[in-house]
Amino acid sequence: MKLARQFWALLRMNLEAIPARLGLVCTIVIGVTCAVAVLVSMLAMGAGARQEAMGNVSPNRATLTSVDAPSPLQSSVAQDAAPLIRDLPGIRRDAQGKPIVVFQATVFVQARSKINGAQTGFPLIGMTPGFTDYQPELHITAGRMYTPGLRELIASNKCVRQYTDFGVGAHRHMRGGDWVVVGNFDLASTVCLVFADGDTILSAFGRNTYNQANVMLQSPGAFADLANALKANPSLHLKVQHEAEIFAQNMQQLNGILNFVSYFVGAIMALAATIGAANSLYAIVDGRRRELAILRAVGFNSLPIVASVVSESILLALPGALIGALVAWLLFNGLLASPLGASFHMAVTPSLALLGLGWALGIGLIGGLLPALRAARVPVTDAMRAT
Amino acid sequence: MKYLPLLWSGIWRKPGRTALVLLQVAVAFALFGVLQGMKTGVDRAVAKTRADLLLVTPADFGGTPLPISYLDRLRSIPGMQSVDFADGFLGTYQKPTQPVYVLAIRPSELWVTLVPEMFQVAPKDLEALKNTRDGALITADIGKKYGWHVGDRIPLTSTTLQSDGSGTWSFQIVGTFTDHEPGEAGFIVGNYDYLDQARVLNKGTVRNFYAIIADPKRAAEMSDTIDRAFGNSSNETKTGSLREIAQQQMRAIGDLNFLIRSVVGAVLVALLFSITTMMMQTIRERTPEFAVLKTLGFGDRPIFLLVVGECLLICILAALVGLALATGVFPYAGKFVPGLSMPLSVVGFGLVGAVLVALITAVPPALRAARLQVVDALAGR
Repeated sequence: MKLARQFWALLRMNLEAIPARLGLVCTIVIGVTCAVAVLVSMLAMGAGARQEAMGNVSPNRATLTSVDAPSPLQSSVAQDAAPLIRDLPGIRRDAQGKPIVVFQATVFVQARSKINGAQTGFPLIGMTPGFTDYQPELHITAGRMYTPGLRELIASNKCVRQYTDFGVGAHRHMRGGDWVVVGNFDLASTVCLVFADGDTILSAFGRNTYNQANVMLQSPGAFADLANALKANPSLHLKVQHEAEIFAQNMQQLNGILNFVSYFVGAIMALAATIGAANSLYAIVDGRRRELAILRAVGFNSLPIVASVVSESILLALPGALIGALVAWLLFNGLLASPLGASFHMAVTPSLALLGLGWALGIGLIGGLLPALRAARVPVTDAMRAT
Repeated sequence: MKYLPLLWSGIWRKPGRTALVLLQVAVAFALFGVLQGMKTGVDRAVAKTRADLLLVTPADFGGTPLPISYLDRLRSIPGMQSVDFADGFLGTYQKPTQPVYVLAIRPSELWVTLVPEMFQVAPKDLEALKNTRDGALITADIGKKYGWHVGDRIPLTSTTLQSDGSGTWSFQIVGTFTDHEPGEAGFIVGNYDYLDQARVLNKGTVRNFYAIIADPKRAAEMSDTIDRAFGNSSNETKTGSLREIAQQQMRAIGDLNFLIRSVVGAVLVALLFSITTMMMQTIRERTPEFAVLKTLGFGDRPIFLLVVGECLLICILAALVGLALATGVFPYAGKFVPGLSMPLSVVGFGLVGAVLVALITAVPPALRAARLQVVDALAGR
């Protein structure tokens, strides 16, 4: 009780003296602000990418790929397996009573960047009929859906922004044929998406197998039924994964790099801020040597002194974190970033702000600890000497 | 010069504080060095790659390889200097965990003189490869790794099967070459004709062509010409110069330019503020000392220079430490970008930055110290 009272008295003294030490105090606040702003805005890239990729992931959708394929691109699903897959349990049926199963074949073709004319590969995705039942949130913003059997494409608006010749009516030359873009659409994704009829893609690109089968489940719980049915029938050689799992896998590399860079730079900035905070607090403590020695002499305990200095450090770091997160939000939230071929809007989320707050706490705690220990060890004799 | 000891003792008046300031400035400059060095280094690396060497590959990802008959058609395109090709297959030596890629070529002068980007080989080694159908060239690294020597015969196991159904390929080591990325120990060089005659699938095809054009400025135009020439066939091509490919790979980092600049800006703001307050604090604490110096006859100017000098020394020293640190960790940070080294210009730029930081932060406290009135200072006013 006595210690707590001492602590409060000391903390009040510290805080009341802030205007007198504005420079040193500002150093702590600004250091933390910069560290948190940098960390939060770097992480906002990963968060934005995740948000856009996972935007409309549904627990009702699942994907079947070959058992041994590390990703759907290396997987192959034979055409003659289609009826067997349609008969699997747990799959939702459409208005006509047919199971909602869409076979997907992905090929990579070239597109030219609008900005610098460089060629980049983009996925051209062939989907068999039933696509609109499987992906009802696909929203055509211009033109119409492609017609099965014709060399027609629909391209996401992201493609239109990034690459040439993806507007409605544009002609594209691929595999010795002329393809027409008949529609544009919006669909959450970090990359440009182009869809066409699945069987047209297979014949045009000389393939005889699909990459994957996408199914709409009766309910999220039906996933287990489907998985068990596949296990019971090893000759199909297929495994099932949630849509979220596939998307997360696709994001892994991008996220890994973004997170590594963010935490690497963020940690160095935090280190610099910690050193700066420690230095300022040392200066503050040094300036109060006599005062502290007198307090010790009149019976103040070491523990409340340590606690009060650390608390002051943390209390100064917190506004830094808030300002830092705010700066990151003002500068970068919603900004279009396009690292590593992806394109997405950065997102400064509340959880990132909280993370920044956590880092600030750490900076305040570590930066305050050593000066606090020095403050607690000021020899009482110092009080007697005039300086 | 005679002020140097005074300068030095001023710096180490409070060793703990000075050490922390040094550390903070060093960390900031290390970060600057890594970020800016990465950006400049990548730009350099891209500019160094060849614009006149075009890589011709199959247009669709994972598609069938290109027919070797394209070789003559490529050679007949106007503006082409020379064309060659490479193929290859992946094998393993003894254990599945020891992969060895066999780069299969037709030994020609091109590999000696024109494509040092791939590997460097002496004419006599290339001649030996030409004369031995199942010959192979190895690097010193791979030789050391598996204990291979020139004259040895080595078996590789592969999923690329021979026409008799066997997956075992035997090579006679006839010479050596130097990989442009030493230490990788990933591939050996063999004869294309040996591979193509023996394999059962994909006969008469190659992985890609290397086309060297006469005028590097026309690289984009020539690439389009090549792709158009094969546009309506069942084996469409995708062509790009090595520089264009490098640019594409590096665009990721280019896109982060704005972010890098923001980070460096934030570091600078925090640093300027921190050092200024530290200097102010120091000057305030040392007011009596400066008063004594003035009493002893030091003028305003020497005092001013003394303070600025202290700050300059600290900043330059710390920046040197930080930039040295950045240079040290650079090979690790730049691991995913081959051929990256710390550009000297970044070090120079960093040092200029350190001087500027020192001047900006030292002038206000130095002015304060210089304008000190002796009477006031000694009286503690």
